[in-house]
Amino acid sequence: MHASARRGLVAAGLLAPAALVFALLFVWPQLGLFLQSMPAGAPLAQYERFLGDSYYLGVLGNSLLLGLCVTLVTLVLGFPLAFLLARAETRWAGLLLLLTSFPLWVSAVVRSFAWMVLFFRNGVASRLLQSTGLVESNFQLIGTFAGVVIALAQVLLPIMIVTLYAVIRGIDRDLEHAAMSLGASPVVALWLVTIRLARGGILAGSLLVFSLSVSAFATPSLVGGARAHFMAVTIYEQTLELLDWPFAAAIAAILLAISISVALTYGRLLGDAKEQAR
Amino acid sequence: MRRRSVLGAGLGAAALPLAGASAQQRFAGREVVATAFGGPSQDMLQRMVFDRVQRETGARGTQTPLLSANAFARMRAEAQAPQIDLFMFSGGQHVQAKADGLTQPLPAQPHFANVPANLKDPEGHWIAWGLVTEGILYRPDKVPNPPKSYRDFFRPEFAGHIAFPHITNGYGTDFLVMLARAHGGSETNIGPGFDALRRIAPRANIFRSAAEVQTLFASGDIWIMPYDGASAMRSTNMGIPVAYAVPEEGAPYVLLVGCVARRSRNADIAAAILNGHLEPEVQAAIAKDVGWAPVNTATQLPTDVAPFMAPTDKLAHLDRDVINASRAAWTDRFNREISR
Repeated sequence: MHASARRGLVAAGLLAPAALVFALLFVWPQLGLFLQSMPAGAPLAQYERFLGDSYYLGVLGNSLLLGLCVTLVTLVLGFPLAFLLARAETRWAGLLLLLTSFPLWVSAVVRSFAWMVLFFRNGVASRLLQSTGLVESNFQLIGTFAGVVIALAQVLLPIMIVTLYAVIRGIDRDLEHAAMSLGASPVVALWLVTIRLARGGILAGSLLVFSLSVSAFATPSLVGGARAHFMAVTIYEQTLELLDWPFAAAIAAILLAISISVALTYGRLLGDAKEQAR
Repeated sequence: MRRRSVLGAGLGAAALPLAGASAQQRFAGREVVATAFGGPSQDMLQRMVFDRVQRETGARGTQTPLLSANAFARMRAEAQAPQIDLFMFSGGQHVQAKADGLTQPLPAQPHFANVPANLKDPEGHWIAWGLVTEGILYRPDKVPNPPKSYRDFFRPEFAGHIAFPHITNGYGTDFLVMLARAHGGSETNIGPGFDALRRIAPRANIFRSAAEVQTLFASGDIWIMPYDGASAMRSTNMGIPVAYAVPEEGAPYVLLVGCVARRSRNADIAAAILNGHLEPEVQAAIAKDVGWAPVNTATQLPTDVAPFMAPTDKLAHLDRDVINASRAAWTDRFNREISR
């Protein structure tokens, strides 16, 4: 009793600095934002305006779809890479990981500008697609949904890889060997053992990438151009260009509510994953 | 003490026109504070205008960088006791300032007469000293037959090679209005503009920021866009061939205006400063270095600068009140109909 109370006190003391910063710099302004989104007289008008308009619902849908696509692409590309890096038995493994996280050292704006050059009609990426004959000769990736997915996936891929790497690294290789010595083919062992055990990392990486893509601003607005109808871009427009702050606050609140509910769902899944892995 | 020497001012007004430091310094010991747009233009104006006025009249001039909207807020807040004498606006704030009684008439100056009547207040409360002239930018190496009208955006050879700014960029709004005008509409009847834009948009590149203009032209893919002449000049200086055409419907423009706070006691110095801005050689230097077109009709522009500016008799005067009042509605419609 006494000991547990002291432990609680220590925990509270350890948490206090972060909690204070969080409350001061996040919760407090966020509350102000909520208040601003509900002007006196018509507290729900801004929310009705958003939720009752198919255009704005479309913007929300676009953002969620973008988050989903980017998460899938980074997962599919990132998992094998993270697996290789985690299992590489070379002195260069550390360097390779460093190389993977290299893009994080460059601003997303700079990386997006680079993609813009590749995505113009005469850019390398667009030319490549044109030469396959799958698209029209004047096709360009700039200003398309696919273009935004590609650019954002590249921007966020290192985050997925680093998260997966740490988890895969912690999986005991003997478990895979045991599965294989019991007759499982390497693919089955990978599926039954490695991916199962890496589920926590997969979920954590996906959550990070999803929430970062849903709220991304620089890449969608640069690569998507004026045709980028995403949440963050809409908030920017309402805040800085149309000066409609109550509406911008309402959109921000809706985005936040969705992010929080996604995070909570993930948390539940993560908890289940841990249960299963036990 | 720092305010004025009544005697000096009286003598100065009666004295001969400025004739260098040796002449009677009519504003000796006084100071004037002006807002500025910052950047290279501020340094240049300090050198060519403020320092020169100080040499010739003895009045020390200070510039303080302030964006137009902030400057207007300051003008209003300090209406009773202005800390700033001369306000420079680029967003049309001078009209509101005069309407709100925040300005005062300026004493006439030699160069004021050379500014066309529609670029200065009939009662002398404000006067323009520069213009950002808009029009049609194109790649002369790809477009042998220069565009002449906003209707030329429909020429078949331009399909797939057009870019235009988003409506939240001021030039994007002006493009919409000019398209409306070219198709029988106007600021108050914007429908034809949206109809025209809807036909151009599907194969056009819609961009948001000024930084993209050079990238778009440099890509080789974009041959024509509505923007300002100064951007064409910058691109050309960077080695990307971009020419500027004044459309036959006229060139929309952004006015750079000076006006003096109503309670300022330095209207006489401020007027001399504005007169300094309007010196033909200063006007030409502003045009060459910053890209702002001259309003003094006596200005001779260098041949490598003139093609990027619209002359004052080719301007299209847009109704900014209607445009500002419609901005939110037009942006909404643009998002739904044009930038799909």
